[in-house]
Amino acid sequence: MQKFESTKQAEAVFGSLFSILAEDEAFTSALRENDMTVRLLHTKPECRVYVSADAVELGEEVPERSTVTIKMACDTADALWRGELMMPSAVATGRVRIRGKVAKVLELIPILQPAFDRYADIAGEHGIAGGK
Amino acid sequence: MTSQDAQDLNFDDFPPEVRKFRSTVREFARDEVLPRALKNDQDAADAFDWDLVQKGHEIGMTRAIVSKEYGGLGVGVVGVALALEEIAAADPGVALTFGATMLGQAPVLLSGDTRLQARFLPLFSGDDVVLACNAVTEEDAGTDLVLEQSYPHARNVTSIRRDGDEYVLNGRKRFITNAKVASFASVFGNLDGYPGATGLTCIMVPLDSAGVTRGAVADKMGYRNCLGTEIHFDNVRVPVENLVGGEAEGGPINIAQGNMARPSVAAISTGIARHALEVAREWAGSRVQGGTELWRHQMSARKLADMAAAVEASQLLYRRAAHRVDSELPAPAYEPAVAKMFADRTAIEVASTAMSLMGARGYVKSYGMEKIVRDAFGSRIYEGTPEALALTITECLYEAGDEDDPFE
Repeated sequence: MQKFESTKQAEAVFGSLFSILAEDEAFTSALRENDMTVRLLHTKPECRVYVSADAVELGEEVPERSTVTIKMACDTADALWRGELMMPSAVATGRVRIRGKVAKVLELIPILQPAFDRYADIAGEHGIAGGK
Repeated sequence: MTSQDAQDLNFDDFPPEVRKFRSTVREFARDEVLPRALKNDQDAADAFDWDLVQKGHEIGMTRAIVSKEYGGLGVGVVGVALALEEIAAADPGVALTFGATMLGQAPVLLSGDTRLQARFLPLFSGDDVVLACNAVTEEDAGTDLVLEQSYPHARNVTSIRRDGDEYVLNGRKRFITNAKVASFASVFGNLDGYPGATGLTCIMVPLDSAGVTRGAVADKMGYRNCLGTEIHFDNVRVPVENLVGGEAEGGPINIAQGNMARPSVAAISTGIARHALEVAREWAGSRVQGGTELWRHQMSARKLADMAAAVEASQLLYRRAAHRVDSELPAPAYEPAVAKMFADRTAIEVASTAMSLMGARGYVKSYGMEKIVRDAFGSRIYEGTPEALALTITECLYEAGDEDDPFE
């Protein structure tokens, strides 16, 4: 059974998460320096997040084009942010698919730490518990 | 098609740093590699041109795929493949020496493990050349360690056992390019407790570790300017920090690594074919028979035209595959396999045709074509035989659309 019951719930969780990153200077600087925008297309349920150096946008109307697109199920994203699933394993098994400047994405992973640190609390605040 | 898509499909317009790198490598191939190719080819099997490899290191060939953050060039698979085509058009053995080093780096690159990357990748950016290798093939397990469906059937695979804060390796790897001259190996073994190779695990092993023995160099038919050797592991202990990915997670790394490497191998094959075409073109342009140059004879013209078309097609396929690998995670399986299968075949066919155009001179060592023909048969062995590639390609053809595939 999937953890996320609705798009609204997923947007609340992932929107809050990326808002934290949007306030992190290291993250926004990295996006700006690399002229990079990221579109996260979550499935099950649908949840679209668009992240640029200047803003985080949510919903079906997010821009169609980005330098990097990442697609994964909401439950996969949940496991990744909790540290229960490692990115290399998720990518190798196709649970996470990335298109765009692949090398740039890999360089971004270390500066995502603030989001990893806060994810469990944010998810908990919106009714998403840890574990399977 | 959007303008962005169209731009993505222009394989003749590479980023400035890639163009600059290719230009540098082209000069290196012309001025350093080609003049030594025939002599090095005729040297003893275990002779190794360290001076040439050091020169290649100085222009970035051992760190081309490494990100700039760790002292590399960060030119991506497209940049690497273009460079390897240039070197292979002078001597594919030298190209493979650098390619095998990148293959040894690939698991660390793919791991996304910044601690592992910070420990290993800067080592390739020092003043002196450092080489690596990737150790997969064994006496009883070749393709059984490449195709996932064969893992349960693999026999006598190098074993990996956890002992406290260390892993202990025992086994023997065969036909490992660079093993004789490398400082590090990415070693794939089977974790104790798993049948066959179902517990395939990747570990970075310094080759000066106690218990590592390097065997004799194989006396090969071609690719003689890179060394293929056995490595024996006799209770070799490495720290757990050298684990790449996770325990029993070597399979996906191995597959991803293969998909990442195949465009570059296809580029090497393309370089061999291009070299054969260049030599044949020169010969057919100067040799006069029946009162006119060979290329004006219809039969010869047809051969040259077919060779040129095959080389062009081969270039397009490997460049497209490389572009896809640079743009997708996980790396796609289909395009790299198609590119490699086509380019490997092209190398053999173009070299064979070029040899026939040259008549007796094509069969004499001093003219160089004989070496090209021998080299042409090498590429189809490593990083996927035609048989293994055919399985990968046809699996993709019959793959049903996966509703869980987020890009579907």
